[in-house]
Amino acid sequence: MKLAPQSVPYRALQKAAGTAVALFVIVNSGGFGLPLAVGGGAAILVAMFAYEAAYYRRFEYVLTEDTLDISSGVISRREREIPYRRIQNVDVSRGVIQRAIGVAAVDLETAGGSSTEGSIRYVTPDEATRIQREVQRRKSDANRPDDAGEGTATSVDAVDRGREDAFAPDEEELFAISPGELALVGALSFDGRLIGLLAFLSSGSFPVLSSFLPETSAAALTATAIVGVAALFLASWLIGAGVAFSNYYGFRLSRAGDELRYERGLFRRYSGSIPTEKVQTLRITDNPAKRALGYASLSIETAGYAPGQGGESGNQSAVPIAATDRVYRLAHEIESFGTPEFERPPKRIRWRYVVRYAMVVGALTGIAYAVNWYVAAPLPWYGVAALLLAVPPAAHLKWKHRGYWLGEDHLLTRNGFWGRTVAVVPYYRIQNVIDSRTVFQRRWGVATIVADTAGTGSLTGSDAAAVDFEIEEAEALKETLTERLATAVAERRSEESDRFEWIDEDGGRDERADRDENVDRDENVDRDENVDRDEDTESAGVDAEPDTTPEGTRTDEASTDDATTNEASTDDAAPDDEPDIPDDGVVRPDFSPGDRDYSEPADRIDTGGYAVDQNPSDADVAHGPGFDDESDGGAANGDRDEDETNGDRTADSDDGDPRA
Amino acid sequence: MTAQTLHPRVQIVWVLRAVLLSALITAPFVGGVYLEYLPQWAPVAVGAVVLTLTIAHALLRYRRWSYEIREDAIYLDRGVITQVRTTVPLVRIQHVDSRRGPIERTAGLASCVVYTAGSRGADVRIPGLTPDGASDLREELKRLAIRADGEDAV
Repeated sequence: MKLAPQSVPYRALQKAAGTAVALFVIVNSGGFGLPLAVGGGAAILVAMFAYEAAYYRRFEYVLTEDTLDISSGVISRREREIPYRRIQNVDVSRGVIQRAIGVAAVDLETAGGSSTEGSIRYVTPDEATRIQREVQRRKSDANRPDDAGEGTATSVDAVDRGREDAFAPDEEELFAISPGELALVGALSFDGRLIGLLAFLSSGSFPVLSSFLPETSAAALTATAIVGVAALFLASWLIGAGVAFSNYYGFRLSRAGDELRYERGLFRRYSGSIPTEKVQTLRITDNPAKRALGYASLSIETAGYAPGQGGESGNQSAVPIAATDRVYRLAHEIESFGTPEFERPPKRIRWRYVVRYAMVVGALTGIAYAVNWYVAAPLPWYGVAALLLAVPPAAHLKWKHRGYWLGEDHLLTRNGFWGRTVAVVPYYRIQNVIDSRTVFQRRWGVATIVADTAGTGSLTGSDAAAVDFEIEEAEALKETLTERLATAVAERRSEESDRFEWIDEDGGRDERADRDENVDRDENVDRDENVDRDEDTESAGVDAEPDTTPEGTRTDEASTDDATTNEASTDDAAPDDEPDIPDDGVVRPDFSPGDRDYSEPADRIDTGGYAVDQNPSDADVAHGPGFDDESDGGAANGDRDEDETNGDRTADSDDGDPRA
Repeated sequence: MTAQTLHPRVQIVWVLRAVLLSALITAPFVGGVYLEYLPQWAPVAVGAVVLTLTIAHALLRYRRWSYEIREDAIYLDRGVITQVRTTVPLVRIQHVDSRRGPIERTAGLASCVVYTAGSRGADVRIPGLTPDGASDLREELKRLAIRADGEDAV
């Protein structure tokens, strides 16, 4: 597929115009004469045109079965294949000029790089939409890889495709900004950058300025300062309002199948899609003003980036503003967490904040005193100390707005008074759990638990963190999070294989043999290996559980030679199928006398069983025969039980180890 | 597996680092004396204080550091001033490196870095391993990660 032909002159002008004009001006004013200047400018334009024409000729993208291939580059060629299932977002943006000449830029984000992985500049708007839809459709196909190669696969695929096409145009609108809300976004937006810039500039110039200042009364000086600051704030506010207005003009969020689509922008139109399954974190933010008016914002984070955070578009949330209950409804639409009831940190921790703020006020007073001493003017520097009055309420508010809540499938944390953020992290998305205690926190006997996700918000320091909780509570929270992550992973996996079972039903009866033969279905083979390995270790480990632990310790503590031999032996054993067959022989006659389906959950649980030496899978299989249709739920519940016991058991073995 | 401590020789690496750091901090004071802004004893005092603090930090750091590989996760416990305990579930491991920096090489040590997709993932670095130990640990983690392998969360 090629780019839009209009992109050649547009790209050329976009890149060369500035340079050409600059050259023209320099040469013209440098006394070389007008013809030379025109010639130079034209030469650059022509060169740029030629380059862009070559770029156009060599740029090609293809939507293949599982990847989007982009081959590009004039001088150095680059071929890039992006698997659909790795694509996080597809974004389309159109500036004013781009809209006029009818082109659009398509950006594909993956979790990998810091920059945009695939950038197609420029195609026609229709083509952009087609890419967006097509990537989404193929991705949802690619996410069911198990169908591939099955006898029923084609028909299933066809059905899926039909269904996808059927609901592809069927967008369910979740949110569209109303003029009132847009006005409110503008009114509540405040661009702090101008203040920052001016503060930076003026900080250097103050001494210089002060030497120029005539001998005026302090009152006049303060008046000027106040007016200046007010003007500055007004300007910042106007700029913020303008930026927010143009960014969110015509904002709408809709849901199509399993992806969210958004559209926004006055001058530059953005539209993008976020697959719901790629959502890492939801963030509901508000500030005192919004809270007073009953509004909040929602932002959706994926591993690629938080939408709209890239480059020029500044910091925008997915839903800029909406009534609080509506925001929560929307959030529930995306991740169905329950009604949160936040746990607050212990009340005594308010004293910690009092001490902290008092110290800040002390420092400020010190600075005021120093300034007073330096300027040698009778300023009321001790006035700053009046801020001490604000310390207790501030500490109380800080405490009041902290908290965490453990939902069924989500961790919610809440922090901040001025910019309160409620972060919703599905357990399944947790990457690490970090427990940190500073010196001061240790003195207060509290700890902070951070649930780290792959979302980009954590890079900016706004992790989902439960700050300043009692150490026991924090430790329990950490344990719970790790456990629930394991459960979530296991559940996810059993769902996966449920899906697998459905497709496989018509396939061969001896499904294991089937799988082993089919090497091309590498997913399955992988899974199969897992099964094998788990069963191996289980056969060795479940009955004689203590055996595995000493082995582990030996591996890491004692001589490395021993470790390598151990490892080698396990590695050798893992791919061997032979010890499995007796295992299967044992399991099958018991549970699948007539119907092969019942043997499946056994396999599945073994794969899903996260740690090896947990209770035998038989317990779960027992659910199988009874509930034919409810096997999903049964398996999931079984898993959860299994994992909880697993957690207990690890704790036990943990206790046991130091004694040994 | 019980909690593992680091190889004692890692203290040498950290003490060396502490010495380098305190040398860096002391250098401006030496310059100050050279230009006769400061009394002679200033760099000595500063150097001594900084050196004591950093070396104490290095030694305490060694005493605090421990890691443990359980069947479902890696547990790290470290940090002198801010104590940090990290839990890295094995399912979340993306890849594992073993590494040997120049100072580590001189001490005959290596470290093992575990990457997750988390934004703080690269922090998970286990220093103070013997070269064999580091590659064994890498292999072990690889094996455990494959065993625990789930759908990736990204």
